[in-house]
Amino acid sequence: MRQERSGPLLDAGFWRAVIVMGIISAVLMYVVVVFPITRFLPEASSVSVPIDKLFRFCWFFGVPILVYVNGMMIYFAIRYRHRPDDPMDAVGSQIHDNRALEAAWTIGPAVLMVALAVFSYFIIPMYYPTGQAAASAVTMEAIGHKWYFEFRYPGLKQSVMNVMHLPVGVPVTLDITSAEATDDVLTGAVLHSFWVPEFRLKQDMIPGMVVPIHFTPTEVGTYRIICSEFCGQGHSHMWGSVVVDSKPDFDRWYAAQQHAAAAPAAAINLAGGDAAAGQTLFNAKCTVCHNAAPFAQRKVGPGLAGLFNDPAHPNLVNGQKATPQNVAGILQHGAHGTMGVMPDMQANGLTPSDIANLVAFLKTLH
Amino acid sequence: MDHNATSATNTGSAVTGGHIHPPPDTFIKKYVFSLDHKVIAVQYFITGGLFFILAGLLAELMRAQLSGPNNHVLSVATYNQAYSVHGSAMVWLVIIPLLTGGFGNLVMPLQIGARDVAFPWLNMISFWLFPPAGILLFASFLYGAPEAGWTEYPPITLQMPFGTSMWCLAIFLIGISATITGLNFLVTIVKMRAPGMTYTRMPLFVWATATTAFLSMIATANLSAALAGLFIARTFHVPFYDVAKGGAPVLWQHVFWFYSHPAVYIMILPAFGLVSEIIPTFVRRPIFGYKMIAYSSAAIGLLSFMVWAHHMFTSGLEHWEQFLFMILTMTIAVPTGIKVFSWVATLWGGKIRLDSPLLFVLGFLSTFTFGGFTGILLASVPVDIHEHASYFVVAHLHYVLFGGSVFGIFAGMYYWWPKMTGRLLDERLAKWHFWLMFISFNATFLPMHWIGLLGMPRRVATYDPVYASTNLFVSISAFVLGASMLLFLYNALRSARKGEVAGPNPWGARTLEWMIPSPAPYYNFKDIPIVLSGPYDYGKPLPYANISQELATVPMH
Repeated sequence: MRQERSGPLLDAGFWRAVIVMGIISAVLMYVVVVFPITRFLPEASSVSVPIDKLFRFCWFFGVPILVYVNGMMIYFAIRYRHRPDDPMDAVGSQIHDNRALEAAWTIGPAVLMVALAVFSYFIIPMYYPTGQAAASAVTMEAIGHKWYFEFRYPGLKQSVMNVMHLPVGVPVTLDITSAEATDDVLTGAVLHSFWVPEFRLKQDMIPGMVVPIHFTPTEVGTYRIICSEFCGQGHSHMWGSVVVDSKPDFDRWYAAQQHAAAAPAAAINLAGGDAAAGQTLFNAKCTVCHNAAPFAQRKVGPGLAGLFNDPAHPNLVNGQKATPQNVAGILQHGAHGTMGVMPDMQANGLTPSDIANLVAFLKTLH
Repeated sequence: MDHNATSATNTGSAVTGGHIHPPPDTFIKKYVFSLDHKVIAVQYFITGGLFFILAGLLAELMRAQLSGPNNHVLSVATYNQAYSVHGSAMVWLVIIPLLTGGFGNLVMPLQIGARDVAFPWLNMISFWLFPPAGILLFASFLYGAPEAGWTEYPPITLQMPFGTSMWCLAIFLIGISATITGLNFLVTIVKMRAPGMTYTRMPLFVWATATTAFLSMIATANLSAALAGLFIARTFHVPFYDVAKGGAPVLWQHVFWFYSHPAVYIMILPAFGLVSEIIPTFVRRPIFGYKMIAYSSAAIGLLSFMVWAHHMFTSGLEHWEQFLFMILTMTIAVPTGIKVFSWVATLWGGKIRLDSPLLFVLGFLSTFTFGGFTGILLASVPVDIHEHASYFVVAHLHYVLFGGSVFGIFAGMYYWWPKMTGRLLDERLAKWHFWLMFISFNATFLPMHWIGLLGMPRRVATYDPVYASTNLFVSISAFVLGASMLLFLYNALRSARKGEVAGPNPWGARTLEWMIPSPAPYYNFKDIPIVLSGPYDYGKPLPYANISQELATVPMH
């Protein structure tokens, strides 16, 4: 065994390797910092920028770890290889462990993980509506269907399909859920997911669950909405778009939508409503969002038992008193309020006599 | 046959020595319904190997479909079935059976100086639940195979044809098999170690197998519950996952991942274990930080039960839940890092022989470390919200399960092949296999990170044409990756006819399985050995008394 091959472990060659890997790490860390992520994927929402920062932070500490693990491995494998003139029974260093080194590589990563957790902790709430931000945000709904997205806007009676418009710079709370085509999960409801890569935003659309997501679109443009949770045959093509407009453009679009929906409707005649028929209808169409139970037992919307007599019920979602005629009005025209969105009779597939039957049924729920 | 081992010492566990049974005399008893752990291991290797080929071919079909946008190599439904069965088969019919049933059976009893596992008959039952499970899973193609991926999230899985019920039954069977094996191995390791083999003298593969056995035993029961729930919901319409009737789709996700996250460690811990065996053997020095490696296995095992919801950051958890699961997930990076750094430090100052088992281990270190790092990215809630369910996740999971587990399986295969068959594999072919596999593996899965970040979701049969050139490159690399496996197949078949006779200890290793002839005789140890110290002190005399022959620990080549 030649002397120079079994010398001290911390020799000049080792330190040279450490320095070379340090230089490689520094170069790569610099690349991470200056890498033009936005050239490949624009940052188009208020959450995009902090997430990209977090992403780069991970790579910033990850790069030296990867470089040193791989580099040391290769360096040791070459430097300490068994050479043809070494004896067959040559063995290596007899060191079993080293407390300081082991403490360093236990504590070091732990500190990095704490830093990453703290960094992440401050970004998580940006996604979710709380306090002030939530109060000032416009609330709308995104609903996954097989295989398209439906959007409901405050003040718009009809839904918007697949192409969503948002005004730039306005905070939005998006209530995200999945449609249940019928009340039978065996034929209808599936999971979807609402993903806009440019927004760095994703939320699964889950039947029976409404998850609010909070963000502000920051860049005018058109971005793809991608379904990223398997939802059947049409999943591969389940794409929508979100058009982020300037405020005037958005207002023009919104006015056009309102105009399209503005068709006068006669008030419903409630006389002769059939409660039994209403119950069948309720079970088929309403139980997706409403329980036939007291107000507090919410699903997507509130429980509807005692709607006309239980003082637990506040005023209706449009601010009116809960009278049969006003409830019929909501069923007819839909409504939007602080508690959510109620689709209109067209969206729910109801006829005027259906509404009369439903109101008759609701009266029987005490 | 002598009995002198029984009285030798009583420093070890209670069940030592005993007596030697006569070997079985009929073909059926010897090779089909065998009670011998070494034969059962080979049965696992052959069956799991066949499923590896089938599930690999499914992957090649998927890559053919994805080689261009709007391809029609497969119909959309067939493509969905291909990736669902590919994933399910690779997890439950390949990696888990090969690492636990294969290597666990082949190596663990030998390494603790036992004549067999504690319950040989249960061991046979465990194996014989495995082929029917595989046949059920692949036969589901005849009845409308599952389409919702290996995770099979309801409610869509309630709306699929009968094949999904077959999937439930298949995985249920393999789950029972894994539970029994876990129980069997844990009892074996606790009760049947050779005298003198304290827990801190156990080879690290045994430590890893013990932790894996514990996880298999505890976690798999949850999978069985989830599967039974899905089967009952599908067959008898009990609304576990039906919102309208008081159920919840997210319930499945919780129960499924409560198993499937520990399962990730069931799939990687045995690979960690065999890496810890191979490195000291080929580096010719003691493993660095034995105790830290051993205890970190146990730490990972326990933590793995507390992190399942990190797969569900987009499933509508509360903030505090997200934060909690993020912290716990990041905690796992610490014991995993300890292992990786200890392995690299073992190379420091060694006398390294770059034979094929070590090459695969170094490949493992490189790819698994990268997969571990992307795992940290995915653990951070805000980053995960963007990357979840994209090709970034597909890339990450292949870096840990292919770059980790499958590289580990091949490292173990090249290492223990001589012990299993008595012959060496051709080293030149093995090195070709390694380099071809390592390069094509990275070429296949590295670009997937990028297209995932840019917005390509997983489980799609087609994609936006902007990803076309990357996908074509990935597909070509995947075909090369598949072809590289043929080198191993040829090498294995070749060694049966032309392989060099290995002798008891071709690598000059020091653990107990190398102290007996290759292949190991029916009774393993004529006399039960007595263990005097740990297994990795290269350069010192062997730490065993009572082994029947004096063995040199010098490598053959």
